[in-house]
Amino acid sequence: MPLRRVFCSVFVIAVAVSAATFAAERTGEIVYREMCASCHGPNGEGTPKEYPEPLLGDKSVKELAVVIAKTMPENKPEKCSREDADLVAAYIHDAFYSPLAQARIKPARVALSRLTVRQYRESIADLFAELRPSEQPNGKLGLRGNYFPSRRNRDNEKVLDRIDPVVQFDFGEGKPIQDDRLKTDEFTINWSGSVFAPETGNYEFVVKTVNGMRLWVNENDVPLIDGSVRSGNDVEHRESRFLLGGRYYPLRLEFFKSNKAKEKKAAIALHWTRPHHTTELIDARYLSPHRSSEVLVVQTPFPADDRSVGYERGSSVSKEWDQATTDAALEIASTVLPEVNRFAGTKNDAGDRKQKVQDFALQLAGRAFRRPLNEETRQPFIKQFEDNTDVDAAFQRSLLLMLKSPRFLYREVDGSANDPWNVASRIGYTLWDSLPDKPLRDAAANGQLTNREQIRSQVERMAADPRAVAKLNAFLRQWTRLDSLIDIAKDSHLYPEFDPAVISDLRTSLELTLADAAMQPRATYRQLILDDEFYLNGRLAPLYRVDLPADALMPQTAPFQKMKLEGETRVGVITHPFLMAGLAYTATSSPIHRGVFVSRSLLGRSLKPPPEAIAPILEDLHPDLTTRERVALQTKSQVCQGCHVMINSLGFTLESFDAIGRWRKAEKGKLINDTGLYTTRDGEERRIQGAPELGAFLVDSPESRQAFVQQMFHFLVKQPIRAYGADVPGELGRSFLQNDQQIRMLMLEIATTVAATGLN
Amino acid sequence: MTFRSSRREFLRDLGLSAAALPFVCNLPSLGFANQAQRKQRLIVMFSPNGIVPDQFWPDEEGADFKLKTILSPLESLKDRTLVLNGVCDKIRGDGDSHMRGMGCLLTGCELFPGNIQGGSDTPAGWASGLSIDQEIKNFLQADTATRTRFGSLEFGVMVPDRADTWTRMVYSGPNKPVAPIDDPYQMFNKLYGQKKNQESLRSIVDALKDDFRKLEPHVSGDDRALLEEHATLVRDFERELQANPDGLNHPEPVLDQGIKEENDNIPKISKMQIDLLVQSFSADFARIATFQITNSVGGAKMRWLGIEEGHHELSHEPDKNESAQDKLTRINKWYCEQLAYLAERLAATPEPGGQGSLLDNTLIIWTNELGKGNSHTLNDIPFVMVGNGLDFQMGRSVKYKKTAHNRLLMSIAHGFGHRLTKFGNPDFCGDGPLSQLT
Repeated sequence: MPLRRVFCSVFVIAVAVSAATFAAERTGEIVYREMCASCHGPNGEGTPKEYPEPLLGDKSVKELAVVIAKTMPENKPEKCSREDADLVAAYIHDAFYSPLAQARIKPARVALSRLTVRQYRESIADLFAELRPSEQPNGKLGLRGNYFPSRRNRDNEKVLDRIDPVVQFDFGEGKPIQDDRLKTDEFTINWSGSVFAPETGNYEFVVKTVNGMRLWVNENDVPLIDGSVRSGNDVEHRESRFLLGGRYYPLRLEFFKSNKAKEKKAAIALHWTRPHHTTELIDARYLSPHRSSEVLVVQTPFPADDRSVGYERGSSVSKEWDQATTDAALEIASTVLPEVNRFAGTKNDAGDRKQKVQDFALQLAGRAFRRPLNEETRQPFIKQFEDNTDVDAAFQRSLLLMLKSPRFLYREVDGSANDPWNVASRIGYTLWDSLPDKPLRDAAANGQLTNREQIRSQVERMAADPRAVAKLNAFLRQWTRLDSLIDIAKDSHLYPEFDPAVISDLRTSLELTLADAAMQPRATYRQLILDDEFYLNGRLAPLYRVDLPADALMPQTAPFQKMKLEGETRVGVITHPFLMAGLAYTATSSPIHRGVFVSRSLLGRSLKPPPEAIAPILEDLHPDLTTRERVALQTKSQVCQGCHVMINSLGFTLESFDAIGRWRKAEKGKLINDTGLYTTRDGEERRIQGAPELGAFLVDSPESRQAFVQQMFHFLVKQPIRAYGADVPGELGRSFLQNDQQIRMLMLEIATTVAATGLN
Repeated sequence: MTFRSSRREFLRDLGLSAAALPFVCNLPSLGFANQAQRKQRLIVMFSPNGIVPDQFWPDEEGADFKLKTILSPLESLKDRTLVLNGVCDKIRGDGDSHMRGMGCLLTGCELFPGNIQGGSDTPAGWASGLSIDQEIKNFLQADTATRTRFGSLEFGVMVPDRADTWTRMVYSGPNKPVAPIDDPYQMFNKLYGQKKNQESLRSIVDALKDDFRKLEPHVSGDDRALLEEHATLVRDFERELQANPDGLNHPEPVLDQGIKEENDNIPKISKMQIDLLVQSFSADFARIATFQITNSVGGAKMRWLGIEEGHHELSHEPDKNESAQDKLTRINKWYCEQLAYLAERLAATPEPGGQGSLLDNTLIIWTNELGKGNSHTLNDIPFVMVGNGLDFQMGRSVKYKKTAHNRLLMSIAHGFGHRLTKFGNPDFCGDGPLSQLT
């Protein structure tokens, strides 16, 4: 490998390849060793006798070179030429002098972290969810529909009680069902149950009706939409609500036609607009007839968390964040205060109300702090109740104090690293991004979190919880970059069928795939990489040319089902049409975007930004070239090749998929060439042809496996993996392989490892 | 009964952040210093089910008139009172008289067709335009010289907890009814919640700083930097709180605690709401207010007057039922007492930074959805005005001849310098604002 390539090359491993290996050239390191190290130490750490201070600072390379040329070596600056000064400045700047270098060479450690925004919201939801017991889903899909003959919804007049999978009815001028007790001019239908939010974000609920209606979502006493007065041409009602992903929320829809209103027709449909989707009917898979409890979802907006290292972490604080914690605390207090009697088990006129509410505040604080209160930590709360005669005011202030306290806002800030409460907290936040639940707290209190086996049994229990599934799902969405591929609209002349509804469905298709992988306990990485069945519905199937028997033409309304795309070389989630379309330009595919995704996300290679900003070559300039040829032309310079030799070669293997992710044999009359080459970190060259060989390579590649392990670790734990021991990545990778690359099992291993670190 | 309002309302009403604080006091010292123009204010007070004409309308016209039984509580305010007879709600279309009487009263325009039906008329929905109070509010809020924190406040007393054409008189636009707040504690929170929150935050800051101090020694050097940075933010926050010691230029009113929202508490709730209304004008939180006692078709049972039947039920009794007419007279007199109390409170409150009293700069209009309960007429809608807010010539009884109430609505806007050429249905605005007012 020529020397030049090593320097341009962008892999972290290149750092380890010291220039000294190539002794023929005089390098900064050689100069440093010759002339500087005797006083400053081999790594700039200083020497006790000559110069004890470490060489640290924030001068630029040029500034540093000027100083060195003028002043070094001490008393004999003429010994150091300007060229040597330049070399040595560049060397020490990158090796240890600059803050960046310091950050790089510092050993990884577990840093104190505040709750991330997701952790904050999940913790608040769970802090109060435990006080509002909820029914569990019973496997049925849809809403419970109760049908009544009049506007009075009297139970003894109920005509029908059934599960309606979706709410989309047009009764015309007739009755909802043929039943003599119902008339055509007046009836009421109450649909109730729960709605599941698949991801965190704003959900717009849309009710379309020519009649009267009211809709409640996650707030049982105030309707989200009050359409009991129909007025003018107002036949569509829309309201938004912010919801946390992976949870059920109570939903109730009341619909009525009344004879007094002299309405001829009756029709209603319950739609929604999920984040990054178009408005669509709420599908049965998101509806459940069970009764869930209200979830306290903090509505206060928070500034986004630091993601500069590739995963969200609570490594910094800001004024905006601090203000958000204040606003959120006030919001939470205003929501909780009206329920304080119920939570505390008391009444307004009870003689012992103050004591009961105080006890409740203390109990809540213990849970919020993830550790029982002691004499010292109880005191500020008790003082609130001593200082305030108004019990409600004392409670509100206790809540504010608790929710603004670093004991709530920071993880494992108190106690020793491995006391059972910090172990419990680590388990809770790793698996759920949330507080320990009651069984976990009991285990901590009873000394049952002192060894790996005990921890493992808690982790196994908690990994089956919907919150763990939701977090795993969130990880897979980030791993596939689903969440960052927001606008994937295409050239409407070239791809007129690729409209917003198709894009929305395509996103749903990928979401369903990932949700399956998160939900199924034994789903494996192998399946994700090699599965050749894809979720398609009636709108997507014709566009992606699924070969269906003539008599089985899918209607537009056909629901999602998994099917093979016959005759294609399409393998695994990476070839999902949504990803292929997302990793493409509006008119053509983009081997570069795809190659970056494969090298960075799937193989864990680190890439530096391009050294020169280069605008893509316009297609018009070379109308005869295929995309592959054009990309090769664009990146042919040596400067580019350092990275693009890898990026392009990997991206080319996916050239069989066009800008909307549709399979193709040819482009511009030339057969697609989807062969590529990959040089592993061990120097082995692999020739890869097309998606099937890419999948086969990835699924057995230790690089790909380690990348997956490392990314999941960082997403779950939000601390650098090496901080838990140099051999942790390898151990986790080995156990992942031994467990057939089961995704859920990897989550378990990570949580157990992190929680048990430091224990015997 | 809990008075929980939706979380979204909470966020909307409170704006919450410490940075929003100066808004609370509407910069009174600056605002009061340069009074180029006097502050003008409007209150629309509503009571339902029509009145008893022969116990209500003065027989005379002009400045020399006598107040009959129902209006007798205004005796001491007579020279600041203007009684308008002969103003009619001419809006027709969908909806029964109670619905149109309510929905068209301040909007002057028809109701949309809809699914709400009363009596035997065609069903209707919401009004098809905004109400005059909101029109004037928008006019005042558009000018920095007259802009206030809320612009308008909508007070209610025992308004049923359902949104329909009978319970809504204020509209911010077509199909956009505005709910009155009939819970004094909820209104108090809207007006003063932010201040209370600031107090609460101030009260916990010391304990919070203490918490940081106790934890800091337990964390390692590298980690302590983060905690210290956070503690600095907390101290900055404390300084901001101290820079706004009150956030208000007056002590917040003290409300009787634990008054439940139920029929027999109507007198107490009415007084609490009036006190809050006067206070909010004094603080210049708003210059427009509505005060809606119950609703169109309201059925208050005035047991405190010894009347067991509901108001609406009584209002259907024929004229010859003397006992019922007597009760209706006493009921309406009670409403007039609320008007008198409101006016007296305003008269007793000095105009902050200006001359005279609040009543010198406020016009109250007491009105109703019907002229008379048992006929359901929309003719001779009661409009009794008290106060000197709009340069109308007060201390008179004026009788018009079947004049559309749209013209009165326009007059009110003109009184604020907002020279509308039409309001609501233009067919009823032809002759412009009412003559004989100024």
